[in-house]
Amino acid sequence: MKNQILNTRAEHFFSKVTTYPKTLLTLGIFAILLAVSFIPQLTKDTRTEAFIPTDHPAVVYRDKVEEIFGLKDPMVISVMNDDPEGVFNPHSLNLVRWLTDRVSEIPGIDPERITSLATEDDIIGTEEGMLIEPFYEDEIANQEEATKVRGAVMDFPLYLGSLVARDGNATLIVAELLDESRAQEIYESLLKLVSEAPANGGETIHVAGEGAVAGYLGSYIDADAQRLNPVAAIVISLILFFAYRTMRGVMLPNFIVLGTVGISLGVMAAMDIPFYIITNALPVVLIGIAVADSIHILAQYYEEMAQHPDSTQQALIVRAMTQMWRPVTITTLTTIAGFMGIYFASFMPPMKAFGLFAALGVASAYLFTMIVLPAGLALLKPLPSPVFLIRTGHEKPSSDRYSRFMTKAGRWVATHPTTVLISTALVIVISVIGALQLEVNESRIDNFQTKEVIYLADQAINESLDGTAYLDVVIETPKAEGLLIPANLRRIEALQRYLETLPHVKGTTSIVDYLKQMNRAMHEDQPETYVLPEDADLLAQYFLLYSASGDPSDFEEEIDYDYRLANVRATMDTGRYSDEKIVVEAAQHYIQNTFNVPGITAKLSGRVNIDYHWISSLTESHFRGIVLALIAVWLMAALTFRSALAGLLALVPVGMAILIIYAVMGFSGIWLGVGTSMFAAIAIGVGVDFSIHTIDRLISLVKEDELPLTEAFVQLFPSTGRAMLFNFFAVFFGFGVLATSQVPPLARFGSLVGVAVSVSFLASMTVLPALIKVLQPGFLKPKNKVVEVEIMPETSYEFK
Amino acid sequence: MNKQTQKTIAIFTLLVSIFLINPPASAEKKLTGDEIARRINARDEGESVSRKLVMEMIDRRGKRRERVTLGFRKYFGDEKRTVIFYQSPKNVKGTGFLTYDYPKADVDDDQWLYLPAMRKVRRISASDRGDAFLGTDFSYEDIKKETKISLEDYQYSNIGEEEVDGHHTIIIEQIPINKEVAKELGYSRVVSSVDSEIWMTRKSEFWDVRGNRLKTIYTREIRKVQGIWTAHRLEVINHKTGHLTNFTFSEVDYSEGIDDDLFTKVMLKRGVR
Repeated sequence: MKNQILNTRAEHFFSKVTTYPKTLLTLGIFAILLAVSFIPQLTKDTRTEAFIPTDHPAVVYRDKVEEIFGLKDPMVISVMNDDPEGVFNPHSLNLVRWLTDRVSEIPGIDPERITSLATEDDIIGTEEGMLIEPFYEDEIANQEEATKVRGAVMDFPLYLGSLVARDGNATLIVAELLDESRAQEIYESLLKLVSEAPANGGETIHVAGEGAVAGYLGSYIDADAQRLNPVAAIVISLILFFAYRTMRGVMLPNFIVLGTVGISLGVMAAMDIPFYIITNALPVVLIGIAVADSIHILAQYYEEMAQHPDSTQQALIVRAMTQMWRPVTITTLTTIAGFMGIYFASFMPPMKAFGLFAALGVASAYLFTMIVLPAGLALLKPLPSPVFLIRTGHEKPSSDRYSRFMTKAGRWVATHPTTVLISTALVIVISVIGALQLEVNESRIDNFQTKEVIYLADQAINESLDGTAYLDVVIETPKAEGLLIPANLRRIEALQRYLETLPHVKGTTSIVDYLKQMNRAMHEDQPETYVLPEDADLLAQYFLLYSASGDPSDFEEEIDYDYRLANVRATMDTGRYSDEKIVVEAAQHYIQNTFNVPGITAKLSGRVNIDYHWISSLTESHFRGIVLALIAVWLMAALTFRSALAGLLALVPVGMAILIIYAVMGFSGIWLGVGTSMFAAIAIGVGVDFSIHTIDRLISLVKEDELPLTEAFVQLFPSTGRAMLFNFFAVFFGFGVLATSQVPPLARFGSLVGVAVSVSFLASMTVLPALIKVLQPGFLKPKNKVVEVEIMPETSYEFK
Repeated sequence: MNKQTQKTIAIFTLLVSIFLINPPASAEKKLTGDEIARRINARDEGESVSRKLVMEMIDRRGKRRERVTLGFRKYFGDEKRTVIFYQSPKNVKGTGFLTYDYPKADVDDDQWLYLPAMRKVRRISASDRGDAFLGTDFSYEDIKKETKISLEDYQYSNIGEEEVDGHHTIIIEQIPINKEVAKELGYSRVVSSVDSEIWMTRKSEFWDVRGNRLKTIYTREIRKVQGIWTAHRLEVINHKTGHLTNFTFSEVDYSEGIDDDLFTKVMLKRGVR
């Protein structure tokens, strides 16, 4: 009864819509123009940092540490030379100076925070005292001078592995950024500089480091988006063309795409939310989803036209809309529920933004489909689609090859439900085995293809030097000058030795290393004096001594101004979560059980620690997102079908899709990481559309057309089934385009969602009907009521 | 050179500049930059001086270091010798720093440091003129010149006038004579506001070799001690690092002859008082 009332209201609504088409179209265009006018304000944020909420305790602490010691994520330029002398030849050393000088002139680089062989001071013991002087200041004229520099550097343990490769074949120029949001521009300037550098002495130069990764991603994404979005639009247009072979069937959905993408990006810009790495997937995803609703409506429209060739255009539109508004509304709500699942479950700002704006896009697609699509159609004359044959009477529905295929498939499923269910059970068992092998992991550099320069640079540096992933341990003492107490310094030294035993930790540095170097220098460079002095006053006097000829900022990264806080930096040659986890947990354990005593405590910080906390919470937020999305989708479906079981059945195909995805990931070794973690909630929101359409059509066929279930199946497949096939094509190829992305996590994400929607679609066409056939659920029992309220008599739509 | 002759010279040069350089109408105010520089350097600074110096350094986060020293300076002909003894904090008490500044630019200065914890006098490398002086925002050159300026390093021009701390000053712009000098000094431009009555700089602004604003030095609490204009407080703001340095001088005494032996390695180790 209620449905009839709703349908009457819907009829009324759509007749209004089709009566004022021009006004509504103009409003639609105006809304798009308004939204699009904000798009130029969009800003880009490609920092990995952007994924971590700024109020995360690990980030808050890291920011505090950065404030004290500097230590921003740097750009790292490596100069390598396989020459027997390594980089210690006149040409390479002069090149390092040349690069250092030029780098300091690049806007956005902090000229005070550049570290290279050309900027650092040596601490040398002499017979009379201590000498602090640059490793080299002027042009290196001959090999003899270069060899001297080599000797000095190799005698300064602190720099080995961190600034210079232990074998002398590589050295770094490390530059901190004044403004990390300018990483892309700075990275590009550095690449330009490197390409102009006089590296004709056998040197190879790489640009890497966390700053470079952010910078590289920026340009990477631009290129990717410029390629992906048009491809997606073309692919979708082709699918639409094959579905209806009419111009309007292509143009109108494309207009909806424009509205969907335009509004969601426009609102994003207006709300001052930046475009993150993963936002790149948004337009492509929206293109696929936005056309789905119109595919179903247009199918119904052409179907109506085929059945009632004499109807007026308005009557056709109203009838198609009245028939379709319900499933379209439900699928819209469930898709929104899926995306909002991401929004609520994720703690990462880019994910939240993705969920929110995808939901907004879906909502705008819905509004455009409900208003602008019928309005647009109303302006046109009825023109049948060549694929929907004009029929008279009540014979078989349209029969192009897609319908014929779907009809056959439907017949088979209807007659073999047990076979379908048994094979499904088998697939589930295998999938569980695969899913159990799923690994949570993440590695920032794997965001790039292995042939990319940034990947090669990272690899080269990690091979010849200690690496570019830093774990910082902040040492805190309660009072000023607490770190001039020798016992505390010895504790730090022991911590360093311990950290160096952990896997992938290649080296550590701290103020202790400088003090030992000074102590040795004050003892005529005797090797056995490379130890911490025992006298607290002497430590203070060493610092004073150093200030007599060293730069006041030299120890900024190691110790704070009143000698109360110090930083120990451990360098790892990998940025992979699974490796970082071992180190962070071991270090944490050591700090708690061995290091911390009253009077001195330590706390972890730095990139490695942030990664650890971030990725650890990823798993939790991923599964929370799935559960939230499933509940939301179930609730929507159960409420609209007014049956808890119907809601549950609607979840079966997506449940299978997710399980199979885990299996695919488990078997093929794809990590559940930042990029891939989004797939599930999206797969639920998008994939559930298929089961909703199936169930809704079945209910309508059984209850309203009073067909027996078997006959309902036969009717379902060629009509709704055909529309679903094209809906599937649109979404599948939409995500398929993403799978060709140059950004590996996006490509993986696209492929996984592609697999997921395929599974959802197939299961909705096979498992779901088979289950319904076997279960004979109550919500699909024909009504006892004999009197059927007249639905849609053709003549009632003669509008004047 | 005593004060009287100085004054005479000053008046004489003033008159000369009025008549030779400037048309009488625009009168005395428009001195050339070079002339102003000469007047600054003509100011008496005493043959020798002893004083207490409190060095206060504050980093951008407000963390403070304070060091109390006793300083002595004496001219040996053109050669200037300086010795500083640290009184506090306790862990550096007794540390001494001895410098011989030679007038010839190409002869490196000699520097020694005595570390009481090691009981040894150590020679330390000669610093570049632009290097930071003992962790302060002054460069060695700033310290060496005290309140004087170098005539051979810069080209001077008179670019205007302003009030600083309630005193009328003439603004002079100093540009290093060439790139090498600029690099050595660490400055590409200095703008000083010079008190036109006592010929002492009250404020100097510095730009680094890349043209970034570097630091500002204020010379304050200028009082006559034993007939010599003496700044009792120097304040530096480093605009790049946010670091501050304040030097406060007290117990300034020009009158007491200082024993030559104080400026030796032996005395450096023995200390004063």
